[in-house]
Amino acid sequence: MPLGFLVPAFLLGLAAVVIPILVHLTRKQKARVVEFPSLMFLDRVPFRAETRRRIHHWLLLLLRALAVALIVAAFSRPFFTGSAEAAGAGMGPREVVVLLDRSYSMGVEDRWDRALDAAREVFEDLGPLDRASLAVFGRNAAVSVRSTSDRNILLSALDTLRLSDESTSYGPGLKLAQTILEETDLPARELVLVGDFQRAGWTGDEGVFLPYGTVVTPVALGSDVPVNRAVARVTLPRQKLDGRDRVTPAARITRVGGEMEDTVEVILELEGRELQRQQVVLPANGAGGVIFDPFNLSQDYTRGAVRLSSPDELEPDDVNFFVLSPGRAISVLVLDDAGRGAASSLFLREALAISEENAFGVTVRAGGGVSNADLAETSVVVVNDGSLPEGNSSAALRSFVEEGGGLLVVMGERIRWPSDLADLLPGAFTEPLDRADGRGGRLGFMDYDHPVFEIFRGPRTGDFTGARFFRSRDLLMADSETSQVLAKYDDGSVALAEKRVGEGRVLVWTSTMDAFWNDLAQQPVFLPFIHQLVKYVSGRTETVAAFTAGQVVDVTDATAMATAGLGEVAEALAGEEERVVFTPSGTSRPLPPGEGPHFLRLEEQGVYEIRTPGASNMRSLAVAVNVDLAEADLTPMDVEETVASLTSRPPEGEAPRMEGTQAARLRLEDQERRQSLWRFLLLIAFVLLALETIVSNRISRVAGKRGSYAGS
Amino acid sequence: MAANSSGVSSGAQLLLPEVLARIDNLELLARKVVEGFLNGIHRSIYLGLSVDFAEHRPYMPGDDIRRIDWRLYGRTDRHYIKLFEAETNANFVVLLDVSRSMSYGSHSVTKLDYARYLAACLTYFSRQQRDRVGLITFDEDVVDYIPPSARNLDLCLHTLHRAEAGRPGELYNPLLKAIESLRRKGILVLISDFYEDTENVVEAVRLLQSPGHDVIVFHLLDPDELEFPFDGPSNFRDMETREELPLVPGKLREGYKELLSSHTAELQERFTASQVDYTVLDTSKPLDQALFHLLLHREKRSRAR
Repeated sequence: MPLGFLVPAFLLGLAAVVIPILVHLTRKQKARVVEFPSLMFLDRVPFRAETRRRIHHWLLLLLRALAVALIVAAFSRPFFTGSAEAAGAGMGPREVVVLLDRSYSMGVEDRWDRALDAAREVFEDLGPLDRASLAVFGRNAAVSVRSTSDRNILLSALDTLRLSDESTSYGPGLKLAQTILEETDLPARELVLVGDFQRAGWTGDEGVFLPYGTVVTPVALGSDVPVNRAVARVTLPRQKLDGRDRVTPAARITRVGGEMEDTVEVILELEGRELQRQQVVLPANGAGGVIFDPFNLSQDYTRGAVRLSSPDELEPDDVNFFVLSPGRAISVLVLDDAGRGAASSLFLREALAISEENAFGVTVRAGGGVSNADLAETSVVVVNDGSLPEGNSSAALRSFVEEGGGLLVVMGERIRWPSDLADLLPGAFTEPLDRADGRGGRLGFMDYDHPVFEIFRGPRTGDFTGARFFRSRDLLMADSETSQVLAKYDDGSVALAEKRVGEGRVLVWTSTMDAFWNDLAQQPVFLPFIHQLVKYVSGRTETVAAFTAGQVVDVTDATAMATAGLGEVAEALAGEEERVVFTPSGTSRPLPPGEGPHFLRLEEQGVYEIRTPGASNMRSLAVAVNVDLAEADLTPMDVEETVASLTSRPPEGEAPRMEGTQAARLRLEDQERRQSLWRFLLLIAFVLLALETIVSNRISRVAGKRGSYAGS
Repeated sequence: MAANSSGVSSGAQLLLPEVLARIDNLELLARKVVEGFLNGIHRSIYLGLSVDFAEHRPYMPGDDIRRIDWRLYGRTDRHYIKLFEAETNANFVVLLDVSRSMSYGSHSVTKLDYARYLAACLTYFSRQQRDRVGLITFDEDVVDYIPPSARNLDLCLHTLHRAEAGRPGELYNPLLKAIESLRRKGILVLISDFYEDTENVVEAVRLLQSPGHDVIVFHLLDPDELEFPFDGPSNFRDMETREELPLVPGKLREGYKELLSSHTAELQERFTASQVDYTVLDTSKPLDQALFHLLLHREKRSRAR
C-alpha cells in the first residue's frame, strides 16, 4: 500500500537516528574504569586487542533509533494513499449541504423521522476536514447551520428542527444550496437532498445550476402514496339581506388514491364550535362538493373552519381556516348632468348594482354641487359628463380627494370642469373628437400591469376589442410624475388616465359611460371594467379570507395589512402603538412599532390573532392561514431525472476546478487526518522510550553494582 | 557472653547475633569432634590444667625424660613416653591482611569486612576456650599489634572494628616482624587475599610455622574475583598499584579463571604438604560454613596426630 507524507520535509529529521548510534559509539570510547584488587592475573592472560568502537547494547540502540525514527515519521504525518480511508476521502475535504424538506407532506407516516436519521447519518460520516451546512426548505428556505465542521452543532441543530406547514418548493432551497456550494473553497462538494420529492414542488424552471463536480445524493422518502383527502377549496359567497351579510359556505373535497367510493363527513365550525355537519361521497381519485346552510355574519374577524371529521395521514390539508368580517360597501356618489337627468348614468348604475356581495352603494345626484357632508360617507365620486360648480363644491371635492377619496371623471358632451380644480386632472381635455371612418375607434393599448386592467390580462377574461368608440375627448397629459396613461385608443389619444392627488386617486375616462359615444356599455367587459374602475379609484383593498402558510407580511405596510384585513394594525404600529401577535400554536411575540419593514412570517396553519397588550376585553384581530394544497398531491417525481437536471457539465474551455495546488493539498490533508497514523506512531514511540528507560536502568544498575562496591 | 558483659560495644557489634547463634550451634558439634582443637572446652574450666592422654610412643633420644611413663616401664621394662592431645591456655593470634586490595567487594560485604567478621568470631571462639587471644594487622608493614592475652579480647575486637585498608600489601616483611614477637607457640590464623606469587606466600607462611606455631590460612576471594563476570571494555585499575589496564573482560574470563584456580590449587598443594590448613573462602558465602570447614579440618588433624 503506497505511503505518502503530508510534511515530507520532516523526514530530514531521520538524520537524528544517527544520534543514538553516535552516542552508543562515543560512550563506549570513554571506557569504564573498574577498580580491581589486583591485576596480577590479568596481566598474565594473553588477549588480542579489539577495537573499542563497538556497540554492545544493541537492544538499547535499536529501541532509541526506532523511537527517533517513529517520532520523525509521526511529524511527517504519514498516510496510506491506497487505503480504504483514502478512498473514503475521495476528492478531498467536502462541503456538504444537507437540504431537508420540512414541508407538511413530510409528516406522512415516519418520513420526518427518517429524514432526520438520514441527515444525522451524513453528519456522523463527516471527515475531519469536511464542512457541512444544514438548510431546510418548504415554500421558503433557511440555513440552520452554515458551513461548519463541528458535528455537534450540526446534530444539535437537527434536534431543534420541526415540521412546518409550508408546501414544497425546491427552487429556494436549491438556490440556497447553490450559493453555499459556490462560496466554498473546499475541493469536493456534495448536496444531500432529503425529502419526499413531490412533483408538485418542482416546476422545472428552478434555474438551479450546482457548481461543476457537485455530487448530488438524493434521499427519497416518499415512495408510497397514501390515500389522501383534502379540503381543496372553500368559497364564502355573501349576500346582503337587510343590511347584514349572509354567507353560504361551500367546500370542495378531493380524494387522491383509493379504489372505492368513500363517504366523508365535513364539518363547518364557527368560533371553534361545530355549526354544521355534511356528508359527501368521494369517488376514487375524484372530488365532491358540499354546500352548507347560510349563516349571518354579525361581527368582525369571525373565525371559521371547514374540516373533515376523520383526518387521514396528511392532516394539515384536512382543514381549511377562514376569517370573515362583514363587508362594507363602497359608497359611490354619481353626479349626473342636470340637463339629462338620471338617464345618463343608467348603464353605470346598473353595472354597480350587479354585485355578488353588494359591494357598491350608489347614490345619484343630478346637478348641483357637493358639500363636505355629502362626501363624508362617500368613497368615490363619479362626475358623469356633467358640470361641477365652482366655489364650495370645488373646495370640498379637493379636500375629499386629497384625504384619500376617489374621483372618476367621465367626459362627454356636457363636461364642464371648474378651473380651480384643473390641477386635479392628469391633463387638459380638448373638444370632442369624432372618429371619421364610421366604424369608430377602438382601444389600442391597455396597461395590463395596472390594477384596473390586471384581471383582464389572461385570455377570455375580458375583451375590449369589441367596443367601438365614435367620439371622445383628447387629454393633453401634463408633465407630471403623478399622472399616467392607463389606456389609449388606436389613434394614440388617451382613453383612460390617472393622477394621484394627495392620498386620493383621480381617473379620467375620455368618453362616455353610456351608449352615445361608444358601445362599451353594451359589451360584456363593461361590468367588470366598471367594478375595477370604482374599486381601484376608491383605494379599498380587498381582503383575503386566508393566507397560505409560508407567506410573509410586512406589518408596517399599510396596503399589505389591509389586504390581510389588518389595516388598523398597520395604522396602530405606525402610530407607535404596540401590538402582540399570537400564533396558532400559542406562542406570542410583539409586533415592533415604528418604521419598517417588520416582517411577520405566517408559518403555522390556523388563526393568528393580533391584540393590544393589556386590552383583554377587546376582540382581537385575526388572520387565517391555510396550507398550500399543492402539497396535498403526494405523487413523487423521478429522482434520477431531478438529480440529473441539477448537476451541470463543466463550462467549455474550463478545466475541472479540482486540480488546484490548494485543492490537492487539502485532499492529502484530508486523507491524512482520516487515518491519523501519527497518533499510532507516537504511541509506539513512547512505548519504545518507556521500554528503553527500563532496559537502560537495568543495565546501568547491573553495571553500577559492579562498580559501586569497588573501592568502597 | 564476654563481649556483651564487657560492655565494649565497638567490638561486640562485629559478633553479629545471627553469626554467633550459628557458631553456638557449631560449638555443640565441636565438643564431640574437635576436642583437641577446642582445648578444655568444658573440663578445663572446672579441672584447671588438665591433660588429655592421647597415646604412648617409644622413647627416642632427645625426648624429655620427664615425660617417660615409669609405670609402664615397670610393667614392660621398656621406655615409653606419654603423649597428650593438647595443651591448655594456648596463644591464638589472628594475622589480618589490611592491604588496599582487601577493600574490594562486589556486594554489600568487602573482603575486609568478611575478614573482620571471621577474625572476630575466631577470636571470640578461642577466648571461650580460655586461650590467650591476640591480633596483628598488616599491609606492607605491621599496622596494629595486640599481644596475646586473656584480657585482650575487647581490644582485639575494637582493633578489628577500626581496621582500614589503606596501603599496598606485602606478606613476608610484616610477617617476619610479627613472628619475632610471637615466641610462645600458639595458633596463628592468617587471613589474606594472597595477591603474591605462590613462592612468596609459601615462604611467608613457613616463617610463621618455623617457631612451631600451628598455622591456619584463610584465602578470601570476592565472587567477582572468582567468576570475573565483567562485560564490556573497561579500564581495570589495580587497587594497590593504581596501574590501569584496558581490557575486554569477556575475552579474558576463561584465562583469568584458569590462572586463579591454578594459583589456589598450587597453594593448596604446597600448604597441605607443609601441614598448613588452607581454605579458600568466597565472601558471598555464609561465615559459619567457613568455621564449620575449619573445625572439621582440625578434627581430622587432631586425630591424625
